[in-house]
Amino acid sequence: MSPEILGLVSLATLFVAICVGFPISFTLLFLGVVFGYIGFGDTVFFLLVVQTFGVMRETLLAAVPLFLFMGFILEQAGLMDRLFSGFRMMLANVKGSLYIAVLVTATLFAAATGIVGASVTILGVMAAPIMKHAGYDVKLSAGSIAAGGTLGMLIPPSIMLVVMGPVVGVPITELFAAAVIPGVMLAALYMFYAVARSYMNPALGPALPDEEKADSVGEIIKELLIGIVPLAVLIMSVLGSILAGLATPTDAAAMGALGAFLLSVVYRRLTWERLKKAIFQTMLVSSMILFLVATSNFYGAVFARLGTATMIAETLVALELAPMVLLILVLGLIFLLGWPLEWVPIVLVVIPILLPAVESVGIDLLWFCTLVAVCLQTAWLSPPVALSAYYIKGVVPDWSLRDIYAGMMQFMVIQVIGLLLILFFPQISLWLPTLLFRN
Amino acid sequence: MQANYELFSGRTRSAIKTLDQISIWSGKAFAWLIIPMVLCLVYEVFARYLFNAPTLWAYDMTYMLYGSHFMLGAAYTLAMQGHIRTDFFYRLWPVRWQGTIDSFLYIFFFFPALALWLWAGYDYAAISWVRGEVAISSPWKPIIYPFKTVMPVTTVLLMLQGIAELAKSLYAARYGKWPIIGTEIDDGEQI
Repeated sequence: MSPEILGLVSLATLFVAICVGFPISFTLLFLGVVFGYIGFGDTVFFLLVVQTFGVMRETLLAAVPLFLFMGFILEQAGLMDRLFSGFRMMLANVKGSLYIAVLVTATLFAAATGIVGASVTILGVMAAPIMKHAGYDVKLSAGSIAAGGTLGMLIPPSIMLVVMGPVVGVPITELFAAAVIPGVMLAALYMFYAVARSYMNPALGPALPDEEKADSVGEIIKELLIGIVPLAVLIMSVLGSILAGLATPTDAAAMGALGAFLLSVVYRRLTWERLKKAIFQTMLVSSMILFLVATSNFYGAVFARLGTATMIAETLVALELAPMVLLILVLGLIFLLGWPLEWVPIVLVVIPILLPAVESVGIDLLWFCTLVAVCLQTAWLSPPVALSAYYIKGVVPDWSLRDIYAGMMQFMVIQVIGLLLILFFPQISLWLPTLLFRN
Repeated sequence: MQANYELFSGRTRSAIKTLDQISIWSGKAFAWLIIPMVLCLVYEVFARYLFNAPTLWAYDMTYMLYGSHFMLGAAYTLAMQGHIRTDFFYRLWPVRWQGTIDSFLYIFFFFPALALWLWAGYDYAAISWVRGEVAISSPWKPIIYPFKTVMPVTTVLLMLQGIAELAKSLYAARYGKWPIIGTEIDDGEQI
């Protein structure tokens, strides 16, 4: 058996083994060792330790636990609550104001953390009862909570982008810059849609009753100053210093974690118990992600050495597809795989396999990464496997799963529109990084 | 995501409990490495921009802390059912199948792969100890052998926890019920 074919067999085995449901890290480890040993003997053990050590020494990836820590502190400190009530007061007279409040809160929180699922739950707990009480439309409410929660995947400092950068070989900083405008654009599209619907049919999102309104303008300003301004400053300084090239993402993440800590101490929201919880959660999530980075990096090294990735790339290139067709095929495949798989194995296992083909037809990798991120975010919103739906159902049991799905589908359509916009106008993604880094 | 130890008896119970405790306790202890990680980098940023005197050691310390943090937490993550699995099909299967498949794969995938990794990692670290190796790529030239030892230690911790997980899977295979409280096998949904 030629090494390339051996690689294909390992890939097929991997696919079956992943679907069986054993923890993916250990499956990758085992298959890498076995197929590597068959392919090139003892060298595989050397590869195993050297590749793992390489991941352990990668300072760039230290941004993963640090950003997670920052996010978990902010989450534990209940800052989202504060933001939400601030915006709610401010917008009380506007039709559909709660949709805007949910989406703006979600966008800001996404810019502060980079975590997905958690924010869906918090948003649900916070906003859903109020939306229900105010007589808001179930579908639109559920949809905006779910859609807002997925923004964390795209808007920097998204953990997914931090992991994707080294995998694809693109600077994380540029990747962040490329995701800013698409992220804000999608948030704006969501808001525009929800508000437009509320204006066309006020029953969907009535203005709030008088007791919800602030007593005076002063109260609103105070809430804004206390609740929103410090967090906004934190976000601006973390993202700003990265995008201005003043700090590496790792430096900025550490400063952000310190900032989040100080902010929650000043707000008197941080207790010893909550700090411990944030520390342990950081450990669990970063170990899950980074251990998988290490094992898939090893599997990837074996796979590359067998030459199969090159073979797949050559086969795809030999089909002489137009770059756009190839790109759409790849994105379609990623979207489909986004149903059974989480983003972690897709970014770490699937993308490296497809990457040589994408590179060989000259597709801009920054743009490609942005498209992949939006694509995976769309998969998060697509029933029936979208986890967000279960979170929301868990929080508001009397919303039917069917209504929740229907709401998510509406926002999925917006996602697809956003994806097509970025596909046909690459400038949406590439303008900012070009401006900042490429002249 | 605690195991339900009541379901086991005698020595099995205390063995599983001890193994779980080792992983959980060590994982929680190593989780605190995030604090020096933050402090190192913050100090470096201040030293560089405020005092114009960047340190020699901050980046070496950062990767050593970061690398140790996630590796040494792997067993804790395993104990908390935190390593991501594709539960798309898995969750549809009867618990007996889940337990059987997991037991089989622990025995034939998990332990052999980790044993080989331990053997390779042990050699890698041992050579480094014998040579008293330092990181030559850094101007600070820190000793590197303690950091290289993290790899074999990780594999040992994982194998210990693997024994406990195998026992839980065997129980599920035999009795059709996971001996874990709050059994929904979680898959890192909160990222």
